[in-house]
Amino acid sequence: MKVKVCVGSNCALLGSMSILDQLDDLKDIISEDSESYYDEELEIEAIKCLGYCKETDANVAPVVVIDGEPMYNATSQTVMEKIVNKIRK
Amino acid sequence: MKESYVDLIRIRRQVFAKVAKMAYDGADLSELEKSSFEILPGEVATYRDSVFRERAIVDERLRLTMGLNARRPTEYHRVTDGISEVDVDKAQLVEPLINVITFACEACPTKALYVTDNCRKCLAHPCTNVCPTNAVSIGKSRAIIDQDKCIKCGRCKETCPYKAIVQYDRPCAAACGVNAIDSDYLGRAQINMDRCVSCGNCIIQCPYGAISDKSQIYQLIKALKTNNHMYAIIAPSFLGQFGPLASPVQIFEGIKQLGFEDVVEVSLGADITTLREAKEFLEKVVPGEIPYMGTSCCNSWTVMVQKLFPDQYDYISDSASPMVETAKYIKKKDPDAKITFIGPCISKKIEALREDVKDYVHFVITFEELMGMFVAKGIELSEIEVSKEIQDASSLGRGYAIAGGVAEAVKRTALAMEPSKEINVEGVSTLHECVKLMRVAKAGKKNGYLLEGMACSGGCIAGPGTLASFNRVRKAVTDFKNQASCESPLDNEVIDENLRTGNAH
Repeated sequence: MKVKVCVGSNCALLGSMSILDQLDDLKDIISEDSESYYDEELEIEAIKCLGYCKETDANVAPVVVIDGEPMYNATSQTVMEKIVNKIRK
Repeated sequence: MKESYVDLIRIRRQVFAKVAKMAYDGADLSELEKSSFEILPGEVATYRDSVFRERAIVDERLRLTMGLNARRPTEYHRVTDGISEVDVDKAQLVEPLINVITFACEACPTKALYVTDNCRKCLAHPCTNVCPTNAVSIGKSRAIIDQDKCIKCGRCKETCPYKAIVQYDRPCAAACGVNAIDSDYLGRAQINMDRCVSCGNCIIQCPYGAISDKSQIYQLIKALKTNNHMYAIIAPSFLGQFGPLASPVQIFEGIKQLGFEDVVEVSLGADITTLREAKEFLEKVVPGEIPYMGTSCCNSWTVMVQKLFPDQYDYISDSASPMVETAKYIKKKDPDAKITFIGPCISKKIEALREDVKDYVHFVITFEELMGMFVAKGIELSEIEVSKEIQDASSLGRGYAIAGGVAEAVKRTALAMEPSKEINVEGVSTLHECVKLMRVAKAGKKNGYLLEGMACSGGCIAGPGTLASFNRVRKAVTDFKNQASCESPLDNEVIDENLRTGNAH
């Protein structure tokens, strides 16, 4: 599974680095109990600004993209829940 | 701000970006009136009981970010009150730096031991047996602690086999190493300025975001728009703060795009401080002129010694801090320079007000505030095209950001100057530990030592104005250290040769 976390200025200001830290920790959580999860590599990438927030006046940052699907106003807990739901047996 | 306090971070930083944008756009100050509505629109509360209270708190944050005092809820004030009287374009910070936003404070109960539902009022009830004041008794449904008798030693909590007793403290008070958090008549936090050293740890820890410092970003941006001699100096902990894709040189270029003439590493000043402190140590402590020497770089540590151990203050190094040394270095080259320190630290905002510092350092902002400026100006650091190397400082100077780095630099430099001498160092990095260390030093038990005190746990990389997590920044700082072209300040050719060869005094 590919998870892209935007670390552009606006997303970094509003906490996207904390999401990255939490995702690193999620890897540990998964490896501690690897039998409960499908054997799928969790690929986490910090990416440059995708420009979503510049296209709209609405607040969308931070942005996270999971397998091509963008999540706006992403929080660690919603991102991790989505990932866990996909890979938990 | 603590990284897991995501909602607080959002509010705090949106305010920085908003105020920065107003300054860059040259917006009329009356716009401040509607800013809280723009940050928290609608009529449904997100964070607290009512959206009106949420906005009132944001109003207070806007005022503090403009450098104004928090308002007293007992008096009628408009959001913009105070702006017309002081010239916001020029006004410098006015103490107190750290403000409790009184109506954001939830008046958490003060330190106590509580019995929780886990209690089974067991037959052995060791909690009652270990209590030195006989304050614990077994009630109808659980153990009861007589709060008037309790001396908060915590023995009952330790002995309980069900983990039924918890020790509780207000997060602000627990974070304060100098016992500066009192209560007002409603039980809300109140800062005792006779003890406060402006370290900002209460700001980081309050889960209601009820404590905040003041900012100068509005005044800084105004100055950037009109003055050509604006220089930025950036603290050694800047690595990794602005996202994993922003390289050091992109950060420097981004700062220039904000309107600065040039950017210099404060690690350069750290090298100068190292040279001075190493000499001072060899000249004063080694022959026994003073019993020990405290480092001078952490402002909260030195202010703590000044306030709580005034008779020991003479033993803090006379050498100026890396911030001041870097500013002096620039000032020598450009006497008209207006210098902005950018760092993880809010205590530096107070240091810059000192009589002997105010002519060198004119503005102090944090990494968080700088990020707000990048966002306001639409700067994407990772997209800046630039290929240059930053080489202002030695590896030891760049190590100042991490606890132990200062003492390490001074020790190794002093040993290089006089290899036959023995140099003992000890370092601590929380304000609680700093106070303890000073008690021991005052008792004469640290004679002959170089004492490194830092108010933030783990050093400057854990400062209240940081954006990235401790581990992330520690790794980035270590990488940058390894890229330095020289190891020791003695080999840093940017620094005046006289200082490096021993003719400094």
